[in-house]
Amino acid sequence: MTCHPERSEGPRATSAGGASPSARLSMTVLAALLVASSAFAQSTILNSTGRKGTFAIRNATIVPVTSAPIANGTIVFANGVITAVAANATVPADATVIDGTGLFVYPGMIDSGSNVGLVEVDSVAGTVDTSELGDFNPNSQAAVAINPHSELVPVTRVNGVTHLVATPEGGIISGQSALIQLAGWTPPEMVVKGPTAVHIRFPRLRSAPISDQPQDEEAEKELRKSYTRDVDKLRDILRDAQAYGKAAAARRASQSVERFDRDLILEALVPVVEGRVPVVMHANLARDIRAALAFADEFKLKVILSGAQDVGRLLDDVKRRGIPVILGPILSLPQREDDPYDLLFTNAKTLHDAGVPFAIQTSDAHNTRNLPYHAASCAAFGLPKDEALKAVTLYPARIWGVADRLGSLEVGKSASLILTDGDPLEIRTNVRQVFIGGEEIPMDSRHTLLYEKFRRRP
Amino acid sequence: MRKTLLALAFALPLFAQERVTLIRNATILTVTNGVIENGSVLIRGAKIAAVGRDVSAPANARVIDATGKFVMPGIIDTHSHAGVEGSVNEVSLPNTGMVRIQDALTNDDISAYRQLAGGTTAALILHGSANAIGGQSQIVKWKWGRPVSEWIVPDAPRTIKFALGENPKSANFRPPEGQQRQYPATRMGVEEVIRKSFTDARDYMAAWDEYEAKRKRNETAIPPRRDLLMETMADILRGKIDIHAHSYRSDEIVMLLNLADEMGFKVRELQHVLEGYKVAREIAKHGAGAGTFIDWWGYKAEAYDATPYNVALMLRNGVLTSVNSDSDELARHLNHDAAKAIKYGGVSEEDALRVCTINAAKQLRLDHRIGSIEAGKDADLVIWTGHPLSTYSRVETTFIEGEIYFDRQQDLARREANRKEKEERLKKEADDAAKTKKERKP
Amino acid sequence: MKLRRLVAFAFLLSSVTLYADAPGVYALTGATVHPVSGPAVANGVVVIRNGLIEAAGPSAAIPPDATVIDLAGMHVYPGLIDAQTSLGFAAAPARRGFGGGGGGGAAARAQTERPAEPTPDFLAVRNANISDDDAEARRAIGVTTVVTAPASGIFNGQSAIVNLGSGPIESRVIKSPAALQISFNPRSTWTYPDSLMGVVSYIRQTFFDAQQHVAATEIYGRSPAGLERPRESAALDALRPVLRRDLPVVFVADSETMMRRAMAIAKEMNLRYVLSGARGGYELASELKNIPVLVSVKWPTAPGDKEEREEQPLRVIRDRQLQPTTPSVLQKNGISFALVSGPGKAGDFLPGIRKAIENGLSAEDALRATTIAPARIFGIDRQLGSLERGKIANVIVSDKPLFDKDAKVKRVFVDGREIRLPADDRAARDEAAAGAASPIDGTWALTVRTPEGNVAIQVTLRVEDGKLSGTFSGDRGAGDIRGGSFDGTAVDFTISAQNNEAEASDWVFRGTVSGDTMNGNVATTLGSFEFSGSRSK
Repeated sequence: MTCHPERSEGPRATSAGGASPSARLSMTVLAALLVASSAFAQSTILNSTGRKGTFAIRNATIVPVTSAPIANGTIVFANGVITAVAANATVPADATVIDGTGLFVYPGMIDSGSNVGLVEVDSVAGTVDTSELGDFNPNSQAAVAINPHSELVPVTRVNGVTHLVATPEGGIISGQSALIQLAGWTPPEMVVKGPTAVHIRFPRLRSAPISDQPQDEEAEKELRKSYTRDVDKLRDILRDAQAYGKAAAARRASQSVERFDRDLILEALVPVVEGRVPVVMHANLARDIRAALAFADEFKLKVILSGAQDVGRLLDDVKRRGIPVILGPILSLPQREDDPYDLLFTNAKTLHDAGVPFAIQTSDAHNTRNLPYHAASCAAFGLPKDEALKAVTLYPARIWGVADRLGSLEVGKSASLILTDGDPLEIRTNVRQVFIGGEEIPMDSRHTLLYEKFRRRP
Repeated sequence: MRKTLLALAFALPLFAQERVTLIRNATILTVTNGVIENGSVLIRGAKIAAVGRDVSAPANARVIDATGKFVMPGIIDTHSHAGVEGSVNEVSLPNTGMVRIQDALTNDDISAYRQLAGGTTAALILHGSANAIGGQSQIVKWKWGRPVSEWIVPDAPRTIKFALGENPKSANFRPPEGQQRQYPATRMGVEEVIRKSFTDARDYMAAWDEYEAKRKRNETAIPPRRDLLMETMADILRGKIDIHAHSYRSDEIVMLLNLADEMGFKVRELQHVLEGYKVAREIAKHGAGAGTFIDWWGYKAEAYDATPYNVALMLRNGVLTSVNSDSDELARHLNHDAAKAIKYGGVSEEDALRVCTINAAKQLRLDHRIGSIEAGKDADLVIWTGHPLSTYSRVETTFIEGEIYFDRQQDLARREANRKEKEERLKKEADDAAKTKKERKP
Repeated sequence: MKLRRLVAFAFLLSSVTLYADAPGVYALTGATVHPVSGPAVANGVVVIRNGLIEAAGPSAAIPPDATVIDLAGMHVYPGLIDAQTSLGFAAAPARRGFGGGGGGGAAARAQTERPAEPTPDFLAVRNANISDDDAEARRAIGVTTVVTAPASGIFNGQSAIVNLGSGPIESRVIKSPAALQISFNPRSTWTYPDSLMGVVSYIRQTFFDAQQHVAATEIYGRSPAGLERPRESAALDALRPVLRRDLPVVFVADSETMMRRAMAIAKEMNLRYVLSGARGGYELASELKNIPVLVSVKWPTAPGDKEEREEQPLRVIRDRQLQPTTPSVLQKNGISFALVSGPGKAGDFLPGIRKAIENGLSAEDALRATTIAPARIFGIDRQLGSLERGKIANVIVSDKPLFDKDAKVKRVFVDGREIRLPADDRAARDEAAAGAASPIDGTWALTVRTPEGNVAIQVTLRVEDGKLSGTFSGDRGAGDIRGGSFDGTAVDFTISAQNNEAEASDWVFRGTVSGDTMNGNVATTLGSFEFSGSRSK
């Protein structure tokens, strides 16, 4: 692999020995695209190449994340698993060797909250599957609705985001998320772990903090009534789930216990109220976070906090309970007029200094690829750079319980890694090649193909 | 006598009471004259007085040591909706060109301050895209803390917002209760709205010409109705108002450019223009600029063919291209978008800086005043902790016309004072309320 | 006195509150008279004859045919003039800001039941329907003259100045039209103009149309041959006096930016104008020279919830505390201004004036701002605004200086006739129905049963004017109850409960009262709990 001088010529990666299979592939794909309609979500790019053989990247700067970077290092992986990471690792004879001179190897990045696969075009309802109707959908599983052939999949992974937690939205209990890899021909092939959590968007008194002079007394009264009602309903359904779980366990233990019809909604909540499946509480304002935590205490839920703009005001509460926090989107605006302008940028440093585990999410779909820049913005405001990198690699792996497989470059872990010409948290860095689970990933996306097409306009 | 005159000459700047500032020893990204390492910028009053490696300052100058830092011109955002009181859309009619942003400007939108904290100093505030012809826009500088009249850039050209595609045809919007869907409902109708508006404008101009002619002949004549909308359209035809047109699909872009050629008007800048890359040469031929955001796509059908390589392709075809935000959030890190122009298509670093500064200034026809660091231009400057195209950099200080409108250290220092003031004011209110309650009891 | 009481009682159920009195000659003696045109006079005399003031001063001669009314210890003032109301018109629908929406089209916001929008030719005097209750409520606070126009729409029509006396409106009109009123109210979505900036263009265009209409009709009138006949337009005709600067425009503009927008339109169209609302006036006082200002005293209030108060931006808090300084700031800058109720209700007027006094306005200036100043601004100062010979006898009597905290207006004369105040009737009614306290009045000891343990709360409740009010104390802090209601059995009220960390949240009590016991549920952010309790005294 040469250090391609013409970065401007596109991000296509080449392996040693001439035009890459992906380059040849692209021509065919290009031709197909010229014919294909612009109907949504018909990505003609291969989900994966199936090449899971033995690879070695030599003479690159390897950044394992869990240990210091290795200059002029070698990483070897076979059958999807990393077999060697060292300054002078032995390269097997049958390995496809990639020359990493001047390049870098990082773990693939993990977005802890994304809608990739659940939406194609926001304004075209037929392509949107993020939010089911109704307030309580704990039984909605994002995993079944992922479209593996969405254009968003290649767009996202070619910038180095290889895994994400596909998250349902809407209502009060939105559903179950799943950690997916951005390679695979069917949803089950993509799901690495599911469900990762049940998501609760804790009721809020207002959708936005009060800003102008208060207006309508009647409207205020209504708001409060409706808020109390929602919290009551949430409480009721969790209590029902507890009862259901108890009855189900009793029935399992003894057939003499009276049979009852199954309730899929309550069933989905039983692992939650029994503390086996975590709950992601989405809350941003201090009042809402507090209420959510108190609620979680009441039901002894295993909680992960998400969003958490005001987490700095509740550090003790969070730390005491050992709650990890998913920050983000970082590139967003603080909700209150008086909030410090850099509140969302500094939260990561605040958590880091307090020793609270955290990770970063984009809460996006079309631009989940920008996850590294959300992380970099935290580094611009005080978070050490290596912590920013961990916030999108090792830390999410730990929080989601997949640190045995993902999140760093260590022997035995999944070969989900990226080859870059620089720090992936810098925008100007190009990702040359992505591997997911040891498979070489085509580096084309809808965006590169459109670029290629119109460069060729005569 | 000579001595006295000389003495006076030196004393005059003091009489004029212009503040002098020296930003010293930084990497100066001038945009138009390359990069100056260990350079300095001298600001006198509202203007840049000198830029270079050896710039000296008078003794009374405020000196800001920017060693290790970077200085670049303030970022210019050609698509903003901040600073508007009430709705940014006059939804009611297909053409509301007489409606003006300047009539709803407000200076208490915190977004302006947050943009300063992200290095953005000037913007074109425009209508939303509910109408084919939305209304007259306003070029401002984010002079946070000053009366809103001072935000308006006085010699800026008049501008107007057009919108094509899904939004003006209300494709995704349901009419309110009791209302019907309105014309236009197709791209065909959008074209007709614009065509008719200009046709009517020509009739309007002719009617007034006839009236004036009659008056000259001393004939009795009733003046035609002075129609603010038609006057606006007429002023566009007279070249007095620049058109900035929201557009997505390549066909509607071509439609507008052809219509412009046919009807005798010019499109100054296409905005969003996500399919601009498909018709880049047509855009260049017309001489329209393009202002876009790099990586938003797929939120509407017409945004599905967007590609971040758009900017690179358009630049390469000779289109004056800039990046803009259409978002209070993006407006505070447009430096990211500029960096993405390099990532997606290999735009040079110089060009990447241009797309968020001088190119936007040219599109607003204010490049004689802003958009680069040159002597004689407005001192709209930003001091960054690192290279602005690095995601690890942040803004330290933002100047507009030589005045500091954002400074991180000042911001940090003020937080405690603000918190205290809030606490004291609320306490006073609570105490007063308690007092009143006590007094009310018999 | 007893005769009086009987007469009052007799008038209880009648709608006529007229105190018929044959000669129409009164001498008010013994009180401190505040003529406004001069300093206050202790032990002064005011003589009223045939609806006008015959004399007012320290020692006016008392005519032999006068009914002498001894007002020792009291204070006599000119009736107050409230120069900005919409009395007699439906209240404007509550607007939640101007509506948002960037980028694409604005979201639908259907507004139901909007009254038909007035136009420039709409005459308030023809259409105002001032009910007895409305008039009574104003008189009870000392207001005898109002300027009124609808609050809805953009061109609110031509306002009228009317006395709040008895008789048909024609007999009570002081001046009509008083002014052309314009408000910056966007219309409902998809109806032009539905944005603030659209409203500005709409106003400007209307004035240009009026100018063209005047020119067209004049030219056509002189020599119609060969010319297109101009259309008839009552609305545009109504703007003629405005263009001629004979009729002023009252712009309803509250914030500093809105006032500036009004000023820009007025400048462009060369209008004579008045700014009304103007609570943001403190920000631009020095620029208001020669522009009369009507300052609404409906000052903003803080949210009830402590956390929400802290959530508000400092800018909003500051503004809320500075707005009541506007009158004194205007005074210092020599601006001609009046104090008006604006969007406020009758009950807000005197407290609002008092707040202005607390914030730097002298009581004398406050009095001027509600009497001679509005009279001058609307050109009726030869008839109203002070106690001077020849002026209309609108006179009010209060038991203390009018702007004192618990001052009460005791007697009101409009056009020289005394009009009963509702308070007199109420006192009689109360006495007649003495002894019937509400079943819920008293102090209650309540226990709220939560999983964490029992919470003890004491509430003292009373029903006043059909509303339940009271205080609470105990384990969750202390304060006033809010939003209370009681229908004889079912009770509900809200308290702002504070926990150990001084964080407040609402506890909504809902229960039933039976004898001396109360039971029900409390709804809180952490759930719904049962409570019960009994009356302790």
